Amino acid sequence: MINLHYLIGLPIIIGIVLFIIPEMLKLLKGIVTVIITIITLYFSITTFQLDNELARLVCFTFPSLTKFMDFQIDYLSKLIVLFIGAFGFLFSLYSLSYHNRKNDLTNFYSYFLITLGAAFGAVLADNLIIFVTFWGVLGLTLYKLIKGNDEESSSAAKKTLIIIGASDSLLIMGIGIVWMLTGTFNISEISLSTTGALPNIAFLFLLIGALTKAGAVPFHTWVPDYVKSAPASSSAFLPASLDKLLGIYLLARIIMNMFRLTEWATLVLMIIGGITIIAAVMMALIQHNYKKLLGYHAVSQVGYMVTGLALGTPLGIAAGLFHMVNNALYKSGLFLTAGSVEKQTGENEIDRLGGLSKAMPVTFIAALVFAFSISGIPPFNGFSSKWMIYQGIIDFGKGSGIANNLWVIWLVMAVFGSALTLASFIKLIAGVYLGRQNPKLKKVKEVNFLMWFPQLIIAIICVGFGIFAANLVVPFFFERITGKFDYIGIWKSQSVTILILVSIVIGYLIYLWGNMKKHRVSDSFIGGEKIQEETEFSALEFYKTIRTYKLLSFFYDKAEKKRFDLYNIFKAIVLWFNSLFSKAHNGFLPRYIFWYIAGMLILMIVLVF
Amino acid sequence: MGKEIFYFLIFPGLLFSGVVGGFLSWFDRKITAKVQFRQGPPLLQTLYDFVKLLNKETILPEKGSRFTFMVAPIFAVFGAAISAVLILLPLLNIETGFAGDLIVIVYLLNIPSLTYIIGAVASANPLASVGASREMKLILSYEVPFLLVLTSIIIKANMTIKLDEIISYQVQNGAFIGSLSGIIGFIVALLCIQAKLGLVPFDIAEGEGEICDGITIEFSGSTYAMVNLAKYIMLFILPALVVGLFFGGLNFANINILWSILKVVLVVLLLTLIRNTNPRVRIDQAMKFFWIWMNLFAIVSVVLAIFGL
Repeated sequence: MINLHYLIGLPIIIGIVLFIIPEMLKLLKGIVTVIITIITLYFSITTFQLDNELARLVCFTFPSLTKFMDFQIDYLSKLIVLFIGAFGFLFSLYSLSYHNRKNDLTNFYSYFLITLGAAFGAVLADNLIIFVTFWGVLGLTLYKLIKGNDEESSSAAKKTLIIIGASDSLLIMGIGIVWMLTGTFNISEISLSTTGALPNIAFLFLLIGALTKAGAVPFHTWVPDYVKSAPASSSAFLPASLDKLLGIYLLARIIMNMFRLTEWATLVLMIIGGITIIAAVMMALIQHNYKKLLGYHAVSQVGYMVTGLALGTPLGIAAGLFHMVNNALYKSGLFLTAGSVEKQTGENEIDRLGGLSKAMPVTFIAALVFAFSISGIPPFNGFSSKWMIYQGIIDFGKGSGIANNLWVIWLVMAVFGSALTLASFIKLIAGVYLGRQNPKLKKVKEVNFLMWFPQLIIAIICVGFGIFAANLVVPFFFERITGKFDYIGIWKSQSVTILILVSIVIGYLIYLWGNMKKHRVSDSFIGGEKIQEETEFSALEFYKTIRTYKLLSFFYDKAEKKRFDLYNIFKAIVLWFNSLFSKAHNGFLPRYIFWYIAGMLILMIVLVF
Repeated sequence: MGKEIFYFLIFPGLLFSGVVGGFLSWFDRKITAKVQFRQGPPLLQTLYDFVKLLNKETILPEKGSRFTFMVAPIFAVFGAAISAVLILLPLLNIETGFAGDLIVIVYLLNIPSLTYIIGAVASANPLASVGASREMKLILSYEVPFLLVLTSIIIKANMTIKLDEIISYQVQNGAFIGSLSGIIGFIVALLCIQAKLGLVPFDIAEGEGEICDGITIEFSGSTYAMVNLAKYIMLFILPALVVGLFFGGLNFANINILWSILKVVLVVLLLTLIRNTNPRVRIDQAMKFFWIWMNLFAIVSVVLAIFGL
């Protein structure tokens, strides 16, 4: 399997070699990276065309390891490999221009390539030991792809490492239990039912591993902090796209291959999905930082994928996986636009931006497409997958389980989450691209080709996936994984797209028919008064009303103090134990003499009796 | 494809629903005038308004994105017309590929509101921004009760989300308005539509007295004509959707045509009467009203529907 060597081995080896090249030659490193990603893209495409098989790689250096080197090439892993390859190429192109400053992240390209190779490895591995090895490498590179030279980013990096590390250790324990129960490490040979204590614990541990990587509530808290201080290319590469692909990939493997879910397990997953959608998007609504807002959406969207996969029907699983791919596309695209805006203006705070649509037209159009996609506006791709998820939920409601009977709740959560997503993106688009231009941003220009090209490509894919969803994209990529299924609704995306074009023509004709040539340009009308340059209704004020409601403000206050953050809760517990133990070690001699005597007494008592 | 373009542009899409919507708008204004002891406009007033607006000088915003501002009304008309096709084809019992998926309709019906918001923020007018934020909050308010009503309909119609099947189910088993959950659902749906159309008491996004028409303040001439066209269409298709969901659709065969017209006019009459007898509420009051009371009503309707009432 020559493909596997190129996909997994090549990026990792070149990545390690790039450590040797000094940072002075950053451009050279970047070009090498782009070339490598083109090669991996080529091999990911050829891998996609391969037949399904269980490949065994020969390990030349350690022949005894060969028996572990099982790699699974099936429709699911091929799909993920294809998208990892595409994202790797686009982001390396973007980074070439984004990372051209000095004092930037050191060894970015090395870690980028290692991440790429490890991601391919994790997806293709059939053996859980190999899988978890690559998986662990990804946690480490995530930590190294953030700068960590100021307090905020270093604490974010630390938090990420600890959360991911903790979840990985649970994952390893879960794998251990699975081995204990089945006696095999090969995913393809495992089939457990979630009945009884041990399989349930194993299921839970594996689930935590997958959901932490993907970033679902309550294991999500690293995502917003990480993306706020990490460079946009890192955020687009890992938390926005690769971590989603991998986390949901593992979840899909757990649900489809390794475990058979009981209705209670389904219920747990549906609750996690629903709460993730609503809680994260409610937080996104009140954010005032471009990247952090996107970070909360990166969490919220996971809820849809979890919901889709938890349905367990072919329609639901296909919808969840389709949403995973769509989300990886538009979310990473959004991070790229955030990076472009940041690079051209040096700003991330929404209130210091504004009116950039004229200065940065391509970025604006791309951001608009991504914003509409993520909010599920027809006919973009986000709508197609959400529509499939809604149908899946209604279809699921026909069944008779505990989770099935509650289908109305899941449906309302999903649709309402989508409306809230739209609301927060209206705020983002209004605050950054539309509205009055901030006078300080007069000289801002569009980013260069290397940066807008990836944005544009991803935007075009978003539109294309939306238009050709039901009759091309879903049968080609997803129906092969889950098997054929029927839709219960009707959505003719192509006809609607043609009608959109027709209506644009008609609208243009109506404008021509009307007196459009005789137009006049004038500043805003505010009731007859002359408008001042500073007069503005900031986009940040849009949803202040929601923030002030009694019940909601209670949750918001707690959330802003990070009371719901598992990391902070555990930190508080650990620190409490610390302070408890440190009372015993206060450095005063009488205290130590007391321990000494007390210890002697206890020893005597033990020896006497 | 030519068939679909015909549906979209002529019947029952843009032209048909625009004309009917125009007459309904006249009806609305006439009733309002009668309530206020005035004479009211002549029958073709909406047409005069539309043509006059097209010939008026158009003023474009100096700051902000002019292109986005001008494209937004086109998409408003598109959203209204495509919803008209998806709602009216099943209602008129015309057999096509467009069976009217309820989820799709919910999403398409939000497009006009969305485009007003985008147009408003693109105009860079602070008052328009206030209006835009209110419109968005209004969408957030009525989205959940409206969806809950739809789920109660879906439950009553044996878990189908296709509008034509919902209507044929009612034709066989009696209209949903005849049941308890149907009555409650109808009240909720009516108020949601009131908010969707931006009529008093939910004309908060326009707020003539305080923010000078807010969300549409910057639209003028041709752009405003397009916004109005979208509003006319919405004034027809939203009541038509309610008729489809609760009154068993329309029937244009022989004498039934009168009865069908009466159904739509009745719903519009209710909307008009509500708007003429109520003062405007504040946005936070509207949100509380929908989030607490309307949701409660809608949940009751869903629960009753589950028990088959």
